Amino acid sequence: MRFKVSPRLISALVVALIILFLINKNWGGASVNAKTISSFLVVGIALGGIYAITAGGLVVTYATTGIFNFAHAAIGCFLAFCYWQLTVKQGLPTLVAIAVTLLVIAPAIGFLLDRVIMRRLRDAALVVQLMVTVGLMLTFMGITLTIWTPKTGRSLPQFFQSSKGIQFGDVTATWHRIITVAVALLVAVGLRFLLYRTRLGISMRAVVDSRSLAGLTGAKPSIISGASWALGCMTAGLAGILIAPETGLVVDNLTLIIVVASAAAAIAQLKSIPMAFVGGLIIGLAKSFSAVYLEWGKDWAYADEAIPAAILFIALLFLPMARLETGKIRITKRTERLTKPWEAALGAGVMIALVGAWANGWIPWISGTNFGERSAVWLGRGAGFMVIGLIMISLIPLIGWAGQVSFANYAIAGIGAVLFSHFGGQNGDALGIVWVMLVCAPLGLAIALPALRLKGLYLALATMAFAEVADKVLVRHPNMLDPSATGVLFKPVNFFGITISSDPSDRKAFLMFLVVTFALLFFMLEMLRRTRWARRWIAMSDSPAASATIGVNLTTTKMMVFMLSGAMAGFAGCMFGLQRGALSVDSFPLFAGLPLVLLLAVQGVRYPVAAFMGVIGLATFPALYEVLGKPSWLSAIELIGPGIAAIAMAYRPEGAVFYSGRDLAGLLPWRQDAREEKALAVAKEREQNIGKDEINDMGLTRPFTADKVAQLDRVLDITDLVDEHKMVPTGGAS
Amino acid sequence: MTAILRTEEVVVRFGVLQAVSQASIEVIEGRVTGLIGPNGAGKTTLFNVITGLQEPTSGKVFFEGKDITNKNPFKRARMGIARTFQKLEVFGSLSARENILVAAEQRKTWDRSGYDTSKVCDEILAKVGLSDVSEFMVGTLPTGTARLVELARALALNPKVLLLDEPSSGLNEEETEEMASLLKTFVDDGLAVLLVEHDMSFVMGTCEFIHVLDFGTIIATGTPSEVQADPQVQAAYLGTETVEEAS
Repeated sequence: MRFKVSPRLISALVVALIILFLINKNWGGASVNAKTISSFLVVGIALGGIYAITAGGLVVTYATTGIFNFAHAAIGCFLAFCYWQLTVKQGLPTLVAIAVTLLVIAPAIGFLLDRVIMRRLRDAALVVQLMVTVGLMLTFMGITLTIWTPKTGRSLPQFFQSSKGIQFGDVTATWHRIITVAVALLVAVGLRFLLYRTRLGISMRAVVDSRSLAGLTGAKPSIISGASWALGCMTAGLAGILIAPETGLVVDNLTLIIVVASAAAAIAQLKSIPMAFVGGLIIGLAKSFSAVYLEWGKDWAYADEAIPAAILFIALLFLPMARLETGKIRITKRTERLTKPWEAALGAGVMIALVGAWANGWIPWISGTNFGERSAVWLGRGAGFMVIGLIMISLIPLIGWAGQVSFANYAIAGIGAVLFSHFGGQNGDALGIVWVMLVCAPLGLAIALPALRLKGLYLALATMAFAEVADKVLVRHPNMLDPSATGVLFKPVNFFGITISSDPSDRKAFLMFLVVTFALLFFMLEMLRRTRWARRWIAMSDSPAASATIGVNLTTTKMMVFMLSGAMAGFAGCMFGLQRGALSVDSFPLFAGLPLVLLLAVQGVRYPVAAFMGVIGLATFPALYEVLGKPSWLSAIELIGPGIAAIAMAYRPEGAVFYSGRDLAGLLPWRQDAREEKALAVAKEREQNIGKDEINDMGLTRPFTADKVAQLDRVLDITDLVDEHKMVPTGGAS
Repeated sequence: MTAILRTEEVVVRFGVLQAVSQASIEVIEGRVTGLIGPNGAGKTTLFNVITGLQEPTSGKVFFEGKDITNKNPFKRARMGIARTFQKLEVFGSLSARENILVAAEQRKTWDRSGYDTSKVCDEILAKVGLSDVSEFMVGTLPTGTARLVELARALALNPKVLLLDEPSSGLNEEETEEMASLLKTFVDDGLAVLLVEHDMSFVMGTCEFIHVLDFGTIIATGTPSEVQADPQVQAAYLGTETVEEAS
């Protein structure tokens, strides 16, 4: 018999060896005895319980709605604040407050979300589904921060805070923690039972597989999906209430649990609730093990924070490869045509002209303010927006064409910025930009590698985890950013006689340099769209199965686009560094990277011009503040902006650029085709609506009787026509 | 005549359900081979096994004498196996021409004959009658036309074997006839065609050889008339009426 070594076994051994090596190298010297073991277990299990509840809720929402809800923890956070308001502030008894929060507010949010947004996302592209929930996450964070401003400290008491808890050796497990773990376990078992043993639960899962088929069984899909979202929000609230006393009522902390919970959910393959519980425990125990036994040294002081991401990446290695599914393609009925080279050149020219006109004060109607006068501050801000635009445009081929939803590009740009401060930026050497791009290209690939053979959602999870690690661990290594070196890190760079730097005197030149580069990239992408590369990426995104069967190697095709996007993000990073001048370790938080993906998705992630629209979008609120003062209604709009964006995406999934392009293209003198098409579409719609009003007026319901049809014919004045074709029995028409 | 493509006792199990059990079929160059059977008989699953989208539980697939059971789908395509899908798998956000262009360009990775992709594209567009709609996004085309795009895309690979999964569904009578004569021209060029189809008159009119699948098992093989005469086939699937209608 031939001995066969499975690749999984090899990977498992390699991973185990790496972990052992890391443990050995960073062993803190704490002796392994009953005392440390019990503290490791007690803390680990308590922490694990926290993650497990959130992960369980995530998995339930995904299993019953088909949507991975990044807003899960943010909703939980909001509900925890509601609970605080009811108990601590209003003084309601604990049980009443819990009941109101979990049985009234949470389901209400769930039903509302389903009704207004989620229902429309069932057949939406992955990027739309994900970005809508990201938008909701930012909105819930914003609302919570506005209602309960962080200036006042708040805290939630633990359950049974006054009693002592149970003693394990030298360690006390507080009642709150015991309750947390017990509830996590109960939730896992209960949800599992609900989903697999009750009629409601089975209907919930069935609705995800096939809405129409599930409808045939007598379940009402709209009520079922509403119930699913209500249930999801209830688990989120439960988790929030239990976690908040441990982490503090801090919006960021409570919301970021989503990253950890995602890792646990990935271990559960996004479907098994008991495994989500196990996943939560694994992460909790790993973190507690590291806290009790390991000492990471001052260079890797924050390595702890990388544990969930590391576990996620390991889990991805062992997930079974995704099957190439058929019969699942979404076809959007949309018409567009390729942008012609001269049109792209014209577009690029318009971008340069617009920014140039603003920077030189040729747009008179906003003068009299700092924005209109283009103070050095505003020129700097303008450059900042253009830099973000460069990051956004790096996402067009990746997300828009190849359909690979990545949240990592802001982090890659951050790492690019830091690297540039070592690779030449410190001496004003422009060649350093090339080195940075050469490093960022494989970096972009490396982040994606573990998720390449899996469903697209895993890539989103992996890139989000990476963004968190880059922010919390990588850039904080002293060799990356020296915490003591504050001040300007970059010397001015000379490009063909133009000096670009963060100096006030150079800012206008820098802004113009950025817009020209941006316009060039825009033009380049529009040209790339006409080549076989872009065609292949789009084909792969439209139907992976069909692409494979025409000989496309999906893995290498994806690798190419990740490298391209990574290099572009690296370039954006260098500009980021030059524009800021100085960098600090908290320059690249995850929550700063998410809105720009959202902004781009709202504009339409397939179209390079969307990145420019994104830049304008970024500039809008600061500009309005400058012109209008700072009215509170405007702040409110800005705050719920992501939510509005999320709703807009649910109703207009192709993005603003597509819809406005469709409506406005006809205005261009040379777009006769667009005018004809519009006329055709209008005629078609009118044809479909013929008789609709009349049917409503007559109060007709199906099935139509011959008499009613004849009556309708008379109302519509088409009796003769119909008779001629003998479509209605003659008896009815008389 | 040796078979260019054959499966050997292919078994596919989904949990307790045996979708395909011990199915052995042969596809021969220069003729249309039919694969018929009632809904859920395992026809599409067998297609997926042949093209590598579905890993068989056991059994083997041979192409030109080589065992390709463990090869990636894209490698099989590069060897010369092309297919269409029962449920449309077009590239909806590319134009009809681009759909074919992607395949024609892809062929460059293994076909070194130095053909001109653009010319190949235009020829195939003309052949299947899509020249008029070549610049439209495929997502906006009616199903029947989109089906032709899929066919054209498969042809652009210049395959040795063409697997067609219900090519006539979504086509009207006239278009079905055109499809049938189109298939004739393919096999005249030496192509091997394997056809899954529900339209019996289409099958009986086009196929020279037929495999009948029922509950995952091949219950009959032979020429159309042999298959129609087979009592097992009649009982399991065709029913007397359909046979009469087809003959």
